[in-house]
Amino acid sequence: MKKIGMPRGLFYYYYYPLYKTFFSDLGARVILSQKTNRITIDQGIDAAVDETCFPIKVYFGHVKELCQHDLDYLFVPRLVSIEPRSYICPKFMGVPDMLRASIDNLPPLIDITVDLSHSDRAFKDQLFKTGKLFTKKSSRIKASYEHGKQELAYCQAIAAQGYTMSEAIDIWQGEDIDQQLNGSLRIGVLGHGYSLYDEAISMNIISRLRQMGCTVVLPEALSIDEVEQEAAVMPKRIFWTLGRKMVGSALKMEKMADVDGIIYVACFGCGPDSFIGEIIERKVSDKAYMLIVIDEHTGEGGLVTRLEAFCDMLKRRRRHKIEDHISAYG
Amino acid sequence: MSYYLGVDIGSVSSNFVLIDEFSNVLEKIYMRTEGNPVKAVKQGYKELMEKMKGNVNIKGVGTTGSGRHLADIILGADVVKNEITAHAVAASFFHPDARTIIEIGGQDSKMIILQDAIVSDFAMNTVCAAGTGSFLDQQASRLNILIQDFGPAALKSKQPVRIAGRCGVFAESDMIHKQQMGYPIEDILMGLCEALVRNYLNNVGKGKKIEAPVIFQGGVAANAGLKKAFEKILQMEIKVPPYHDVMGAVGAAILAREYIEEHGCASVFKGDAFITEGQFNSSSFECKGCPNMCEVVCIKRDKEALAYWGDRCKMWETSIGHKEVG
Repeated sequence: MKKIGMPRGLFYYYYYPLYKTFFSDLGARVILSQKTNRITIDQGIDAAVDETCFPIKVYFGHVKELCQHDLDYLFVPRLVSIEPRSYICPKFMGVPDMLRASIDNLPPLIDITVDLSHSDRAFKDQLFKTGKLFTKKSSRIKASYEHGKQELAYCQAIAAQGYTMSEAIDIWQGEDIDQQLNGSLRIGVLGHGYSLYDEAISMNIISRLRQMGCTVVLPEALSIDEVEQEAAVMPKRIFWTLGRKMVGSALKMEKMADVDGIIYVACFGCGPDSFIGEIIERKVSDKAYMLIVIDEHTGEGGLVTRLEAFCDMLKRRRRHKIEDHISAYG
Repeated sequence: MSYYLGVDIGSVSSNFVLIDEFSNVLEKIYMRTEGNPVKAVKQGYKELMEKMKGNVNIKGVGTTGSGRHLADIILGADVVKNEITAHAVAASFFHPDARTIIEIGGQDSKMIILQDAIVSDFAMNTVCAAGTGSFLDQQASRLNILIQDFGPAALKSKQPVRIAGRCGVFAESDMIHKQQMGYPIEDILMGLCEALVRNYLNNVGKGKKIEAPVIFQGGVAANAGLKKAFEKILQMEIKVPPYHDVMGAVGAAILAREYIEEHGCASVFKGDAFITEGQFNSSSFECKGCPNMCEVVCIKRDKEALAYWGDRCKMWETSIGHKEVG
């Protein structure tokens, strides 16, 4: 049985069920790296070039971990675009090359290009070519791909019930997750999935809010059409997929009467975030808004103080029923 | 007499106040944390009690500041509150009509917007600590000026020089350049004050509407140069409240009083003997339980472990039934 490694980072949080199903159906054994821990982070920071963002450094750490397994392949798709007329951050395009340049003794990489900006044909071609590494039967490859898409949709439906993508993947894999989904405050939390749902990168922000008695509303729980509709109010279409999703989600949450406040989690080194966080701040005028910038630091004090103060403010505001809302950030 | 104790353990200073049932401040201590919050809590408490000549019955304790959890372990606090809420509570007590609070402390700066004495908006500096107390401290010691003399010296300036305030590193190299060119030191100091104010307004204030009355508090409010720079740039009168340097502690004490009065319960205050007689120590170790290798802190009194924290899985933290940190 061929072993294929998958780093638990970046678009793992959006696509893992698809790839896992695809390769498993083709008879490969998928090896996933562990949840991000200190070793992952230390190794990643060591291996990656300094200018990349923190989530990419963490991804390098996951690759380093997988290198210790005796793998036949390492699956690190080259992400360019996942939908028409929209793109993923350019750093993602370079990830396979950066990996080759900075890590020795890599297993053979499967670095198919994911570019759906015009059509999905090129991507399918490449994926099917990849499938040939495992089977000769085209019908089996096609069936595996279709099955993968179904599983992904199923996992997305789990997330829509209020779970993070990370939890949804765990549930999809058969784990039991008991999550109280009814806190007194409802807070919309936005950010790139690969930083938000990685507990080490986001310093557990979602669990922390839940422990403080908040229900967390995530973009995955919103209808895609409504999000797109809200994002369309921008004078120029935002061509970053995730950025547009965040702006649309923020504007949608602003209109949701049961959402008390919105928090945006940005990465310090993220180019698109430096625009998107700012755009949301300017556009969201009817709800409390806070921008939290995270990076490699492990000091959690500042984060806790801001979250506590934000929750205190929302509670006190609610108690005094201030009609007049002003935006907040920190 | 019955009093409420408020404690604010900040990165640079540790503050202690005692208030009575009407929230009047009876005594205050402002001291340097000097990198040792455990010692600061104990010493500050001792000094406060000496000043009160032991004639004190503490009915409630509130802690705040980045060392609030540590202070809670040693003192036994009824309320452990973040510093934003504590500052807002104190400011709106002294100035019920306050609309804007500028708060600059040792490692962070905040802006709090109040409406009907309730926080309606706040902002805190993000990743940059330029323009906070520790940066001023550092510059003062580089120029061999006592921090207490910084403000009066800056006020002597007639023509402040332009210093880049966007970044602490640039500000420093700008200051060195101007100093080597021979500009008078008071003009450089005032220039620095103005640079910090611009940085604060751009970084923290980011287009927020600053409405009068404006209250300036936190340790840095003692610096008359900065007060003047704020007034010059905002074109408004800036009020520095009498207990500006210990406002966090005052807020914590008021919150403790409110809590005790509301719940009608007895304080969890640990008492004089517990605090003054024991030897408090903190140590840290790397947990080997999983690959996260969390740095766990242990607070001990003599040989007894009082609290652990710093572990992500909370295995240590919950091991001695201590209430959650967070």
